[in-house]
Amino acid sequence: MEPLGNRDDLIRRVHAALHGHGETAHRPDPRASAPGPPESIEKRIDRFSEALRSAAGTVVAGNLYSVLPALCEGLRSEGVTALLVPEGDTAARELADALMPMGPFRLASTSELLHGNSPVTAGIQSSEFAIAESGTVVSTGRSGRTLLPGLVTDVHVAIVRPGILVDRMEDVLAALAADPPRTISFITGPSRTGDIEQTLTLGAHGPRAMIAVITETST
Amino acid sequence: MEPRCHDFSRNVERALANRNLQAAISRTTGRFLEHRNAAVRSFPGDFEAAREAASRLKLATLRDLDIHLARFIDEAERRGAAVHIARDSAEARDISVRIAREEGIGLAVKSKSMATEEIGLNEALEAAGVEVVESDLGEYIIQLAGEPPSHLIAPAVHKTREEVARLFADKLGEPYTEEIPELVAIARRRLREKFLSAGMGISGANFLIAETGSIAIVSNEANARMATTLPRVHMVVASIEKVIPLMSDLPPMLRLLTRSATGQPISSYVSVLTGVRRPGDVEGPSKLHILLVDNGRSAILKGKYREMLKCIRCGACLNICPVYQTIGGHAYGWVYPGPMGSVLSPLLLGLREASALPDASSLCGACADVCPVKIPLPDLLLELRADARAQGHRTPAEVLGMKGFAAIMGRAGILEALERIGGVFSQLLFKDGKIPWLPFRLSGWTDRRDFPAPAVRPFRKVWKSKRGVLPWNR
Repeated sequence: MEPLGNRDDLIRRVHAALHGHGETAHRPDPRASAPGPPESIEKRIDRFSEALRSAAGTVVAGNLYSVLPALCEGLRSEGVTALLVPEGDTAARELADALMPMGPFRLASTSELLHGNSPVTAGIQSSEFAIAESGTVVSTGRSGRTLLPGLVTDVHVAIVRPGILVDRMEDVLAALAADPPRTISFITGPSRTGDIEQTLTLGAHGPRAMIAVITETST
Repeated sequence: MEPRCHDFSRNVERALANRNLQAAISRTTGRFLEHRNAAVRSFPGDFEAAREAASRLKLATLRDLDIHLARFIDEAERRGAAVHIARDSAEARDISVRIAREEGIGLAVKSKSMATEEIGLNEALEAAGVEVVESDLGEYIIQLAGEPPSHLIAPAVHKTREEVARLFADKLGEPYTEEIPELVAIARRRLREKFLSAGMGISGANFLIAETGSIAIVSNEANARMATTLPRVHMVVASIEKVIPLMSDLPPMLRLLTRSATGQPISSYVSVLTGVRRPGDVEGPSKLHILLVDNGRSAILKGKYREMLKCIRCGACLNICPVYQTIGGHAYGWVYPGPMGSVLSPLLLGLREASALPDASSLCGACADVCPVKIPLPDLLLELRADARAQGHRTPAEVLGMKGFAAIMGRAGILEALERIGGVFSQLLFKDGKIPWLPFRLSGWTDRRDFPAPAVRPFRKVWKSKRGVLPWNR
């Protein structure tokens, strides 16, 4: 479909309203304002965890096998019976394989979640970035990745490798700005609403619980 | 939505008579403010410096808006978007309907957008046979009730849980429940079906990023993510002042927006969306329509009201405004309430429609103090008042009153005589310093509050007697 309306007319109208241009304001380098000493990975994990917890998220950390009991307990308490794992996400698959006999949980399929009565499902996904400042995990739709595990499920399990932790949102955007994928999704805690009498309720349209698993994975 | 700003005083009467509304509004605004203040205290870095920087960024962007808009359009089109331009609301509605027709849309899901409220999108699409479902819970509630939003970010603040329960029972046939989690679950289930079957998702934009032609949207419920991920067509409706130049401009603006709005350091979800689904992508719409709406902005850009276009719609000025806290959003008569609405509505609709709004302020300045982009709202309100008078929007009583005031103030003898008479009256009749009742035309004041009685000793006398001891005369 061809664009409608008159683009040149808009630009002309706006240009005329400006009576010529002002001096372009001095723009400080966004990085310059936050030099900061290099941060230890432990400190960064702590900041991430604290921020995510205050956004009603849950954090479990440790090697894969040490996090399993707490994670399994968390999923059970939400009534989870099925797991959604994106194709090709080996870390998520590894975690799901370890979890399945403990639940017991079974694997759910995307089509099952999108159509018909779906079971209570946890979506497990490796995050592409994590942001210490705000306790945020980042998923994108790059190279065939899906965003559904953190969107249409009841519980969102985000795997965070310490190596993907950055300081601020600026760092993520700088890495992606040259060729941004169609979707960059910044996720901080579960889905929430306060629209009825300002009462905070989790699980509005998206997951009602969000668990970050901070662990060193093989991939 | 048909503006009813000209009915302002009647709207206010109605609002003041509604105790439930006032309780709900003051509870909500109070909580928002508490959260906002806590978030400001824990701001990483200097909050004042961040406000100043954001204000400058928005002003600098507005100063070169033609360049940034052209870049945004080029970059968005390069990545597969069709960018449409609407000069006014009517054109915006036309274009939206044509897009829906051309794409063969029967059902569209919407995430919250003030721009679509402004142009009256829902009504236009419904008239063209497209079912439009609001997916933000608050918007869903008021859509079922057939009401406009009453707050920028909490559109259903005026509804109690009992009213929502009744609405869901009557309109959706759901079993009556006053449990909020159950009400939320009902909306989740009902709307999930809509997300999965809608052909088009409609969203606004919190920011348009010129560098990459991207759209940034914040949400807490995940409805914006659903509406922009699941349907095959995505339509964005945004007004032209939403542009920021660079990707790196986004984080500092977001830090201010979410803290000023709900007190969150960041909203649960931030989506940065660029173009359409790429080859190899498994999700996302294959069609993207971006509708840029001018609707009077280029005229605002021209003159002394340009700073109003810095607004990022956080709602902080509503929450802190004593007038908004008392009358709520509907009384303002159109889509934009509170101090920002009292400036923006007259600019978009004209003073003939909305000249009463700038008068509805005590000019206390609290709105300017909390504004994250430092819009001088009280100054703009005053300018609008002056413009309204210059354009002849004043009542005969106002003209008469001002003439009388000038006549008295210009003659010291008359003023002194009146002061004496007033002083005697006060001494005899209004010993507590309050006049509880005034006749006919003036009863509008005394119906709800006392009028201060004239001082027994006029100020000028006090001034004369104290002169010798005032600190600056020592």
